[in-house]
Amino acid sequence: MAPRAGQDEDENTLLAQTSRRDPGAFAALYDRYGAAVYSLALKMLRDRQTAEEITQEVFLAIWRGAREFDPARGSARAWILSLAHHKSVDAVRRQRLRAAEPLSETVAAQGDVADEAVHLVADAQVRKALEGLSDGQRDAIAYAYYGGYTQQEIAERLGVPLGTIKTRMRDGMQKLRTTLRPLMTGSDG
Amino acid sequence: MTHEELRELLAPYALDALRPQEARDLETHLAACETCRRELAMLREVAGDLAAGVATATPPAALRARILDAVTPRPRVVSLPRLWGVGLAAAAALVVVLVGLNVSLNRQVTALNRDNRSLNEQLTAINERLGAQERVLALLANPASRTTPLAGSVPANVRFVYHHETQQGALVVSDLRDPGADLVYQLWLVAGQEPVSAGVFRPIQGRSIIVPVSADFSRFQVVAISVERGPTGAPRPSAAPILAGSL
Repeated sequence: MAPRAGQDEDENTLLAQTSRRDPGAFAALYDRYGAAVYSLALKMLRDRQTAEEITQEVFLAIWRGAREFDPARGSARAWILSLAHHKSVDAVRRQRLRAAEPLSETVAAQGDVADEAVHLVADAQVRKALEGLSDGQRDAIAYAYYGGYTQQEIAERLGVPLGTIKTRMRDGMQKLRTTLRPLMTGSDG
Repeated sequence: MTHEELRELLAPYALDALRPQEARDLETHLAACETCRRELAMLREVAGDLAAGVATATPPAALRARILDAVTPRPRVVSLPRLWGVGLAAAAALVVVLVGLNVSLNRQVTALNRDNRSLNEQLTAINERLGAQERVLALLANPASRTTPLAGSVPANVRFVYHHETQQGALVVSDLRDPGADLVYQLWLVAGQEPVSAGVFRPIQGRSIIVPVSADFSRFQVVAISVERGPTGAPRPSAAPILAGSL
C-alpha cells in the first residue's frame, strides 16, 4: 500500500472534527470512504438496497461514535473500514438466519466462494497478496472476511480442525502484512 | 484461557470470524493487554486493506444526500408555556421548569442504562437533549449573560441571550408570527459582511421557544433572522433580515 502518513493525520483530524459535530468534516469522510464502505457491503450482501442501508448505518455510527476513535489504537481508515466490515458481517449472518440455510450447504451451492472472492478483489496489489498465500490460508481468510463465516463454520466446511484454521488465519494475516505493509512493525516483528 | 490462547483469537477477531462470546472474552483481555492491542491494531490495518481492495462500486448520490441530511443539525428547540414570559427576570421560573425536565430525563437515562446497547441510540438522543437543556439552564441563570432584543420589520418579542466565556447562547422567541407554509426562520450570526447560519426554527403559536446556539460570540457583531425555505434553510440569507440585534 502507498505511504499514507500525512493522510492518516488528516483523517484523524476529520474524525476529531466529526466528534465535535462538524458536518463538513463528516462529509469529507463520506467522500473518502463512502464508496469503500458501500462496495464492501455490496460484495458481501450482493444487494444494492441492503448495501445502501449498511452504508447509512455505518456513517451514522461514525457520526455518533467518532469520539470513541483512539488514534493510538490504529488509523482512522482501519477504524472506519472495520466498522463497515462488522456491520456487513452482522447483516450477512442475519440474512442467513432468516433464510435458515445450513451454512455448509450454502457454501457448497455457491461453489468456491473463497476463489471467487479473491478474483473479485479489484485492487491488483491486494489480489496479488492474497494469491501469494497458501490455498489453506487464502480460503480461511476469504471465507471469514468476504464470506462472513465464523472460524468454527469454516473449520466445519473445510473439514479441518479449528486449531488449523486459527493458525492459517494468523499466518495468512502475517504474510499479508509483510506483503502489503512492509514498513509496519507488529508486536513480534 | 491462557494468554497464548487469547492471542490466537486476534486474527479471527480482526476478520470478524469469532462467535460473540469469544469476541467478548478477547475484548476483556484486550482492555488489559497492551501487546495484544498493538498486534490487533496491525491486523486491523491489514483487514482494512482487504476491505479497500474491493472498492469498485459507486454509491448513488441520493445516499450521500440522505446520510448528510440525517446529521444536519436542527436546533433542539425547548418549548415553554407562554405564561413564563421568558425574560431574564423569569430565569428562576425557567430554572424550575428545566430542572423538572432534567429530572425526568435523568430518570429515563437511568432506566435506559440498565438496558442493553440496542437502546444506545435513544440514550444518545436523550443525553443530547439533556446536555442542550443544561447549557440553556446555566446560560439563563448566569448573571454575566448578556441580552439583546431583536427588532425589525415585523412585530415580535424575540431576544438573544449569550455568554462570551462559555460560548453558549440562546434565542428566546416569545412572540413571532408563523413564517408561512414551507418556510422557516433562520438564525444568522454575522461577522463583518459574513453571515453564518446558527440553525432554523419555526415558532409554536401560544408558546415560547428557545433555540440553543454555541459560538465564539466575540467574532460576531450582529444576530439576525431571515425567512428561508424549509425544512433546512439556506446556505446564505436569500433576503434582507426581518429582525436583527447587535452583539
